[in-house]
Amino acid sequence: MTGIEQIEIIFYYKEDSFMDNKTRDDLLKLFQSKLNEAMRFYLETCTRCGVCTEACHVYASMGQVRYIAAYRSEIIRRLYKKYFKGRGKFWPSVGEAKELSEMALDELFDAAYSCTGCRRCMVYCPFGIDTQQLMSIAKLLLIGANTEPEILTLLADTSIEKGKSMELFKEGFLEGIKRLEAEVVEKWQTEAGTTAIPVDVEGADLLYVALAGAHSIIPAAAVFNAAGENWTLSFFEAVNFGAFVGDPTKTKLILDRIVNEAKRLKIKEVCICECGTAYRVMKQLAGEQPFKVSAITEVHARYLKEGRIKLDKSKLNGAVTYHDPCQIARNAGVIDEPRYILQHLTDNFRELTDDPRYNWCCGGGGGLVAMGEDTLDFRMKSSKVKVDQIKATGANILATACENCHTQLSNLNDHYAMGVNVQFLSSLVADALVR
Amino acid sequence: METLYYVILVPMVYVAFAVFFIGTAIRLFKIFWEPKHPSTLQIFPEKKPKWLLALYDTFLFPTVRKHKPVLWVFLILFHFGILLLIIGHLELFGEFEIFQVIPHEVFLGRGFVGLIVSISLLYFLFRRFVSPVRELSVPEDYYLLVLLFLIVIFGSQMDWARRWYDYGELDVEHYRTYLSSLLHFKPELPYEITDTGHSFMFVLHVFFANLFLMFFPFSHSMHSFLSLPMNKLRRG
Repeated sequence: MTGIEQIEIIFYYKEDSFMDNKTRDDLLKLFQSKLNEAMRFYLETCTRCGVCTEACHVYASMGQVRYIAAYRSEIIRRLYKKYFKGRGKFWPSVGEAKELSEMALDELFDAAYSCTGCRRCMVYCPFGIDTQQLMSIAKLLLIGANTEPEILTLLADTSIEKGKSMELFKEGFLEGIKRLEAEVVEKWQTEAGTTAIPVDVEGADLLYVALAGAHSIIPAAAVFNAAGENWTLSFFEAVNFGAFVGDPTKTKLILDRIVNEAKRLKIKEVCICECGTAYRVMKQLAGEQPFKVSAITEVHARYLKEGRIKLDKSKLNGAVTYHDPCQIARNAGVIDEPRYILQHLTDNFRELTDDPRYNWCCGGGGGLVAMGEDTLDFRMKSSKVKVDQIKATGANILATACENCHTQLSNLNDHYAMGVNVQFLSSLVADALVR
Repeated sequence: METLYYVILVPMVYVAFAVFFIGTAIRLFKIFWEPKHPSTLQIFPEKKPKWLLALYDTFLFPTVRKHKPVLWVFLILFHFGILLLIIGHLELFGEFEIFQVIPHEVFLGRGFVGLIVSISLLYFLFRRFVSPVRELSVPEDYYLLVLLFLIVIFGSQMDWARRWYDYGELDVEHYRTYLSSLLHFKPELPYEITDTGHSFMFVLHVFFANLFLMFFPFSHSMHSFLSLPMNKLRRG
């Protein structure tokens, strides 16, 4: 080997792993900020037994070891072993402790943004290690190094900006809503003099937090009106891009917009539209509040139980199956309600799995769908098992209750020519309303 | 040789136990001292009673039984075997009436416990040679398994020799003299412990056990203490 070659190799190596100490210290502070009791459990305990191997839809579809939950977690754990355990100084090789470098950041990106945070692996692990939590460390480090997916930060910042300067958006928003009212009335005729989409109603019982899109507002409004609900529409969209990108501060700011609105209007119940992340964040991170938090599925099931709405089974033809959004079902417990609704919609319902904990993720969570075309190829390849699961039911209508899942399942439907009709559960309810 | 035996059998044992107890206590204290996670980490649907189910998850590994039944059989044999061996070692300090509910000679299981644990350890080791567990494993995983295997094989050999081959020179009485002398901080090494045919087995057993105890608090062996609280988090 010539001297120049040697220098080149050294240079190449240095450039690869180069990270100045200041940056590294800052990133390690971010790492430290994530270390609570649960995180220590998850970082200390893995025995690498490999029971989680088949748990991940990405591994099950693509067969690459780096997609096994334990492997993903080990990428975080190696940094932990290097900087947060005495072993990292005395005997780093025993746990393959690893230095935080630019290369390590690439690995973190690969691990974090191929994980949808579905927590199916948590069902397999004998200890219950939460890979989504460990991936949140990776996501935070990526933000610290400015290497997170820009689009997610951009979207999160837009949401926060909207919260800060609501007055600027108000006019346009109200105009847009007015235009939708006719379509709501088409689905459910409200009494003369009532507003089809009430906004900013102080003292309303229910605050509905929708997504930016007519499909998230029209059917929901029709059902609320049919049930005679005293409701009002939130100014803000439910989705929390802060949670997708893994930024705790932004997650909280985006969440607080809705919490503050609900408090201002003296709301009794905040109802989150069909968005898994929004629901879980609101339900589990909002803390003690004067209002309760429900998913729209829970609210619809309640209306049915109380006889406030009636549905016509003849509207749906063929077999129906239901995809449980991970953040709403396995991770937040809304499991029986959608099935109760489906009982009122069809006599031909088919389950995807015997045990809802084992439902495959659609493959679009964790911000992957929000990242759009960039992740499309990966999302299609990594969700083969989901396609097989849906096909096995033989259903021709595939209902779900999450925007992300809906987009991903529609993409899968096109890509794999599944020939199913992907529908929002709330739309099915709205379309089957009878007096 | 005499000095080496002494170092392994007396000071090193004290150091190992000190590192084990103090190290484990400090590490656990540090982990449990951290703030709790602000939101629930549970998996749904939830079932009750949560504590009982968390105990069930911790001690009977139902998820492993479902997904890796062969591994589960060995895991249960191994962990239950370890429990019996720990009881056996306590009995080397003196008689415990509670353990004599089932009347037995020390050790429980007529030598088969050690055999089963050794075989389980070999199974755990060999499955790490096969992909994908091979790619997941780090040196620590191998060190622990090899160390445990060495401990168990040398320890069991002494039991097997007495039970199966009528080797009578080194007996429970001698272990008791040695261990209780350590316990009372008046170390005493009976002639049979250091100068009979199987002494070197005994010394190696103690040596590897010392290494294991000293590594324990810093390794993933800590799952023995953390598994229950973690499973409780999952159950909610």
